[in-house]
Amino acid sequence: MSAHSRRIERLYARALRLYPRAFQESYAGPMRQALRDALTDSTLTRPRFFLLLLRDFFTSLIKEHFAMLRETYSRPALVFNALVLAGISTVLALALYAIPQQVLRTGANDPQIQLATDAAARIESGTVPSEAAATGDVDMARSLAPFVIVYDDEGRPVASQARLNGSIPAPPQGVFRYVREHGEERVSWQPGSGVRVAAVIERVGGAHPGFVLAGRSLREVEKREAQVRAMAGVAWLGILGLILVGSVAFGWITRKKAVAAAV
Amino acid sequence: MGIGNKTQGPLTPAVFAVLLALAENDKHGYAIMKEARTPQGGGIEMGPGTLYGTLDRLMRDGLVEESGVSDDERRRYYRLKARGRKVVAAELERLQTAVKQGRALGLLPDGARR
Repeated sequence: MSAHSRRIERLYARALRLYPRAFQESYAGPMRQALRDALTDSTLTRPRFFLLLLRDFFTSLIKEHFAMLRETYSRPALVFNALVLAGISTVLALALYAIPQQVLRTGANDPQIQLATDAAARIESGTVPSEAAATGDVDMARSLAPFVIVYDDEGRPVASQARLNGSIPAPPQGVFRYVREHGEERVSWQPGSGVRVAAVIERVGGAHPGFVLAGRSLREVEKREAQVRAMAGVAWLGILGLILVGSVAFGWITRKKAVAAAV
Repeated sequence: MGIGNKTQGPLTPAVFAVLLALAENDKHGYAIMKEARTPQGGGIEMGPGTLYGTLDRLMRDGLVEESGVSDDERRRYYRLKARGRKVVAAELERLQTAVKQGRALGLLPDGARR
């Protein structure tokens, strides 16, 4: 074998170190031997063989690394564990968002429950409906103050502490129908574009039947809900990242055993 | 999915050439490469990386095994197992059917007259 061929073989031997370790340990020797055989094969033209060798080296290098990654990370137990952990973290993140969101939203009704109950009681005990909601000038689009609106039995406004763009809005008739049957309803009401209100509607009986609506802007509550959502999202992504890093590390640590078992 | 499960499907050119080369007798790596290069061996030019990667997968799938015979520490011989023989036979049958169709369509000359 010529000095030139020996140099090529040494270079090839170095290049073989770039293959995955398990593949290298199994086949580096036979691959060098195949090169040696090719270099002594007089039927093979050198330039054509070197071109083939170069192309083969790069394509098989990529292929073997992908095969190694597939063997390392596509093991059912590893994938199953990662998916289970991802599922648990997703449920936890949803709970992390849903529970505070519900607490915030239901808490937003608290003063209105009191206001609506009191106003309904006043009307039922003889107060004229138009006087049950003391005059106020709450701008529903801007103010965070709670307000009361009294409606007659047909759902027409009778008195109001709040206005939206100069008029007194009314919730959909379906809400009144529900309250007529069930006595009370608590809803998120959107009286106008960009205006959302936590509303409690109570049925009023007695001599002046109708409805009392106590409301308060949801603006601040929804800001807090958005903060909770963002925090839950960050926590979720963080946990998923940890699961990914942990699974990759675990797969890597246990890879030799898996490869040896497969061979 | 392993190569052995693909008995009904087409094999890759490298897998086909290696199995065909070993169907004749046990061979070492370079002999397989050389046989694969010939027209009757599939006409596949493959280097050592492709060859040993293919052999590795074929051994895992139980189609090929090391014969245990070696005339040199580095020169290992490989042997076709019964399962590998079945797979290459199925592939040849598939190709034969395609060749028959090619003849029927006039794409190939009639083999019987040649």
